[in-house]
Amino acid sequence: MIVTVEFFGIPRERTKLSKVIVEGARLDEVFRELEEQFPDLAQACLQDGRLREGFAANLNGERFVSDPATEMQLGDSLLIMTADAGG
Amino acid sequence: MGGKFGYHGQWLRVDCSSGRGESIPLDEDALRRFLGGSGLGAYLLLELGAATVEPLSPEAPLAFVFSPLVGSPLTTSAKFAVVCKSPLTDRINDSLASSQFALAGKRTGHDAIVLVGRAAEPSILVIDEDQARLESARDLMGKSCPETQRLVREQLGPNYAVAAIGPAGENLVRYATISHDGRHAGRGGSGAVLASKNIKAIAVRGRKTCRWAFPEELNRLSKNLSKKSLGPATAKYRELGTVSNLLLFNRMRMLPTRNFQQAEFEQAEALSPQRIGEQRAKTQKSCAACTIGCEHLFSLKDGEPAETRLEYENLFALGPLCGVGDPQMVLAASQRCDELGLDVVSAGGTIAFAMECASRGLLDAPWLRFGDGQAMLKALELIARREGVGEFLAEGSRIAAGKIDGDSIAFAPQVKGLEIPGYEPRSMQAMALGFAVGTRGADHNRSGAYEVDFSEEVDRRDAGPEAAASAVETEDRAAVMDSMILCKFLRGALDDYWAETAEMLRLVVGWDMTVEELRRTARRIVSAKKLFNIRAGWTPDEDTLPDRFLDSPLPGDGAVLTRDRLGEMIRAYNLHRGWSAEGRLDEEALR
Repeated sequence: MIVTVEFFGIPRERTKLSKVIVEGARLDEVFRELEEQFPDLAQACLQDGRLREGFAANLNGERFVSDPATEMQLGDSLLIMTADAGG
Repeated sequence: MGGKFGYHGQWLRVDCSSGRGESIPLDEDALRRFLGGSGLGAYLLLELGAATVEPLSPEAPLAFVFSPLVGSPLTTSAKFAVVCKSPLTDRINDSLASSQFALAGKRTGHDAIVLVGRAAEPSILVIDEDQARLESARDLMGKSCPETQRLVREQLGPNYAVAAIGPAGENLVRYATISHDGRHAGRGGSGAVLASKNIKAIAVRGRKTCRWAFPEELNRLSKNLSKKSLGPATAKYRELGTVSNLLLFNRMRMLPTRNFQQAEFEQAEALSPQRIGEQRAKTQKSCAACTIGCEHLFSLKDGEPAETRLEYENLFALGPLCGVGDPQMVLAASQRCDELGLDVVSAGGTIAFAMECASRGLLDAPWLRFGDGQAMLKALELIARREGVGEFLAEGSRIAAGKIDGDSIAFAPQVKGLEIPGYEPRSMQAMALGFAVGTRGADHNRSGAYEVDFSEEVDRRDAGPEAAASAVETEDRAAVMDSMILCKFLRGALDDYWAETAEMLRLVVGWDMTVEELRRTARRIVSAKKLFNIRAGWTPDEDTLPDRFLDSPLPGDGAVLTRDRLGEMIRAYNLHRGWSAEGRLDEEALR
């Protein structure tokens, strides 16, 4: 499944990208794909198909997701961000 | 007298009418029940009967409160609270600031310094350990906050730490700040309270230190905490600063835009930290005793040093909230707020409100248009001087609404009179609850309920009573951090918040405080502030949001927060706190 991944905060800083297109049918597959493509991102934010503590993923700007088995739908946008929204 | 370790066991009462100080004992029971900072300040103000006095009257106390951790090796501990009855809200106000003033203030040998009375003429209050005196501030009137601080230190000597007001405070702007070294006790107008005592600046110094109960263990814990403070939990603050919130909030339609008429801003990319930093010098600073270094400063003009601090709150309030997308204007306005001594959130919120009134033809100020950065700068000057429209904008959006058009209160962006920070309530409905019930008004520091919105725990666009328990938890944690005092940016570095903060208290003060006792202390502190408000005249209908945020869908998003659902959330919050469903409590809550 083609998924648009958007980066915010530290994930954007590590990838130097605002967004990227990846393939993955489930959340953990998308994360593993990102780990492979972006080693700096992996070191800071990802491990074994999951987000490290302190980071969050949101689907389509609507709901936050963490279950590795979350299914991706065509056209989904996955937002990856620093979990702390303190200002 | 309490205070064997961590505390001096006394506070200094200074009568500004005479300039004389009197040291008054603090018993250990009070210190253990309220800790320091925000909590101890609330306790002192309750004891002094501050709830029923006029905020700008000579009788109104203004408390600078330190904490057991100030002066310790714990990172981010150089902080102080300024606690008073707010002239903006008529309710309790506790604001925090940082750095050398906390350290020097505590070295006077006191756990708090409380000002009462009114000096006969504009004065500098000088506190040299337990000796207080007044010196003339005639030559400082009209000077900016940083300039005042510099001149006072030139006059008195560099081993004084100085907190000062700017022209906005002098003119009793209801959201004037007290500033120290570029940091501000910002919200709620404590600067106006200091000005009402005819005090332009307060200078403190001393050499009295506290002992720690277990110094070697404390040093080891401090080293470990400092190491954790440099880890992934604080990376956002260290590397990007809070300004990194802006693009995320824009994407998720949480970014208050044009006085909360929209929740995304078409020019947001121009205000990203990367874009702002592209053409400007930038640097980073940290407060005294802080290893995180969250302050990101930018230069205002090419070739000039980077001296303008930019945080998410001033970026949103002087940017999208006023429809301004020019980073140069936002930086210039931020710097002017710092110089004039104006709270950026209330300044931006009140100006944005005025812009909407002007656009609706309710306010005869056609120059005050959304998106016009020069108009925003002009408005700041008028507010600080109380000239033209500034005369009533200096009162804040709630009072200004009453003077402009009675119906405009529906879109005055405030709760209890305190302007709403940069979190759109309709798309962050747990935060909406936090805003509605907050004792000092709409506040993202005393309530961290946005954490709940950023989780799978609630549907942030359709939240209900299930958000109450977590909203209480974030408030309790904040109450302890604001009383200990530690910077909230450190909280992610704590693996077990309650156990680790109890351990810090054990090593500093020697108390064997269980987690359960610390949780009760948190609740007691929040209850103390609520009790203050009840004595000041609070009624349940204050715990709400303006009409704009209720029952109508958020434009461009569709999220709706109904009045009924907010009411259910508030009732659930009150009951979870052990108060009545309406939010009432009595002195029993302070035991």
